[in-house]
Amino acid sequence: MTTVRIALAQIAPRLGDLEANLTRHHELLGQAREQGAGLVVFPELGLTGYLLQDLAAEVAMRLDDPRLVGLATATSGLSAVVSFVEESVDHRLFIAAALLEDGEIRHVHRKLFLPTYGLFDERRFFAAGDSLRAVPSRLGFGVGLAVCEDFWHLTVPQILALDGAQILINVSSSPGRDLAATNEVGLGTATSWRLLMRTYAQLTTSFVVFCNRVGVDESISFWGGSEVIAPTGAPIFSAPFYDEGLFCVDIAPADIRRERIGLPLLRDERPELQLRELGRIVQERAGLAADSTDPKADA
Amino acid sequence: MSDATAVFELPDELAIDTDVARRVIAGFIRGQLEQAGFERAVLGLSGGIDSALVAYLIAEAIGPTNLLCVLMPYRTSSPASRTDAEAVVADIGCASELVDISPIVDGYFEAAAGAAGREASPLRRGNFMARARMAVLYDRSASWRGLVVGTGNKTESLIGYTTVFGDNACAFNPIGDLYKSQVRQLALAVGVPEAIVRKAPSADLWPGQTDEIEGGFSYPLLDRLLFWRVDKRRSTEELEGLGFDAALVERVDHLVAGAEFKRQVPPIAKLGPRTAGVDYLYPRRRPGSSAR
Repeated sequence: MTTVRIALAQIAPRLGDLEANLTRHHELLGQAREQGAGLVVFPELGLTGYLLQDLAAEVAMRLDDPRLVGLATATSGLSAVVSFVEESVDHRLFIAAALLEDGEIRHVHRKLFLPTYGLFDERRFFAAGDSLRAVPSRLGFGVGLAVCEDFWHLTVPQILALDGAQILINVSSSPGRDLAATNEVGLGTATSWRLLMRTYAQLTTSFVVFCNRVGVDESISFWGGSEVIAPTGAPIFSAPFYDEGLFCVDIAPADIRRERIGLPLLRDERPELQLRELGRIVQERAGLAADSTDPKADA
Repeated sequence: MSDATAVFELPDELAIDTDVARRVIAGFIRGQLEQAGFERAVLGLSGGIDSALVAYLIAEAIGPTNLLCVLMPYRTSSPASRTDAEAVVADIGCASELVDISPIVDGYFEAAAGAAGREASPLRRGNFMARARMAVLYDRSASWRGLVVGTGNKTESLIGYTTVFGDNACAFNPIGDLYKSQVRQLALAVGVPEAIVRKAPSADLWPGQTDEIEGGFSYPLLDRLLFWRVDKRRSTEELEGLGFDAALVERVDHLVAGAEFKRQVPPIAKLGPRTAGVDYLYPRRRPGSSAR
C-alpha cells in the first residue's frame, strides 16, 4: 500500500436529529468510497450535534443499537471514525468515537477529558472515559483515537503513540472564538489547535488527523479547519474554515518509518521513568508519601 | 492604531479580523433562522451604526429581499437619523416601513397614565419608547414572518445602557459580543456609509443627546476598560497599571454589576422536580420545534 486516501467529513450536524445525521453519514460514506477513500473521519458528536444538554439521554445509543450496527455494516472494505453519545450497560452517557471497519465496530474510545469551564459544561451531562488504547487497523498501521479536549492533555498523544498508534485521529466540535486581528489565521482557537497538533505530530512522529465540525449550535459557531499533518510536523492539508465539505487527502505510510528511523524519539522514550515518577507524584498527592518537592520537607 | 483611525479611534487590542467575523456572523444568522424554521428577518433601523451594521450583515447572510427594516421615529427624533436610515435602506435594497410611535407613546403618557404620566422623566419616556418599538417589531415579526434581530452591542449591554424587554428584546443578536469600537470597524468593512460610522452615537431620545456626553466617557476608553476587565480578567490594580483611572474603574464596575439582571433570563421560583433554566436544560431549537 503506497498511499492511503483519508476523507475528512467536515459536516454541520443537526442538533439532536439522529436520523438526519445518520442519513448524512451514510451518504458521505458512499461518496468517500466512490472517491477511493480508505479511511473516512467524521467529527465529534457528528451523529447528534454538540450542545445537547438534556437531549443527550434522548439520542444516546448502546453499542448494539441497530442504527450504529447499520452504520458499521456500511464500512465493508473501509475504515471510518464516527462519534455519538454512547450509553453503557449501567446507563452512563459517554461522548464516544468508534472505529468501524469491514462491517464491525473495531474500537470505541470514550472521551477522557470533559471540559467543564468557560463555555463548556460537558461534565454536567456526560461521564468521562477510563481507558486509552491504540488499536491495529485494516489500514496496516496502528490507530489512536481522541476526542477534542483529549488533545489538550499531553498524556493522550504520548500514550497512544507508545501503545502503537502511527496515526492519531482527533475528532472535534471545537467552538471558534477570539477574533483578535493579531491572530496568525484570524482565529485564536485555530492558532492554538494548529500549534499543538503540529507539535504532537513531530514529537510522536505520527500522522495527526483532525476532523472538526462546522455549523452553529445556539451561540456557538464551529470553525472546521480539519487537517492532516505529517510525522515531520508539516501540514499536508488544511480544510477551509466554516465550510462544509468532504475533503480527500492522500498520505504515504512510508513517511512514518522514514521519520521514525531518522528521528527515533519514540525509541528513546522512557515509559518506565514516567511510570516511576508518576507513581511517586500520585502517592504524594494522596498524602501517602511526604512531598519530596516541598522545600520545608528538608527542615 | 490601524487604518480605520482615519474615521474613528480603534484601540489596537480591540481590532478584529473582520473577514472571519463576517463569516461567523453570516453562518450564525443563517443557522438561527434555519433552526427556527424562518427565512426572513425584521429589525428596527434607527439611523445609528448598530442597527445599520446588522442590516448589512443580514442582507449579506440571507439577501436583502428577506429583510424588513422598520423605521420607528418619535416626534422628537432627529430628522437626520431618519435620513441616515433611509440611505441604508436604499443602499441595501431591502423592504422598509415607517411607523411613527408618537401616538402610541403620547397616548399612553397623556391619557392612560394621567397627570403622573405627563410629568414622566426622560428615562421613563425613553424606556417606554424602546418598548413601544419592541411591540411594533414583534407584531411585524408575525405579519412579515421573520425573526426579530437584536442590534445591541457588547459595550451597552455590559454597562446596562439598554431597556430591558425594549431594545434588548430579540430572537437572536449577531453583534452582541462586539464592543462599540469593533462595531465601527466591522461597519466600515461591510460598507455602512461613513457618515453613520463617523457620527456621535446617540439614543436619540432628545435633541443633541449623545451616549458619550450622557455617560461621561469616550467609547474607545470604555471599550478598552471593559475588554481588559471582562475579557482579560484584569484586577483593579492591574487596570491601574495599564493606565486606567481608579475612579472610572470603580464606576464602570458598578454599572456592569448593576446591569447583570438585564443580561439574564428572569429566575423562576424552584418548586417542582424539573424547572426551566435550572434542571430542565434543552437547546432553544431542537427536532420538532421548527415553525415549519
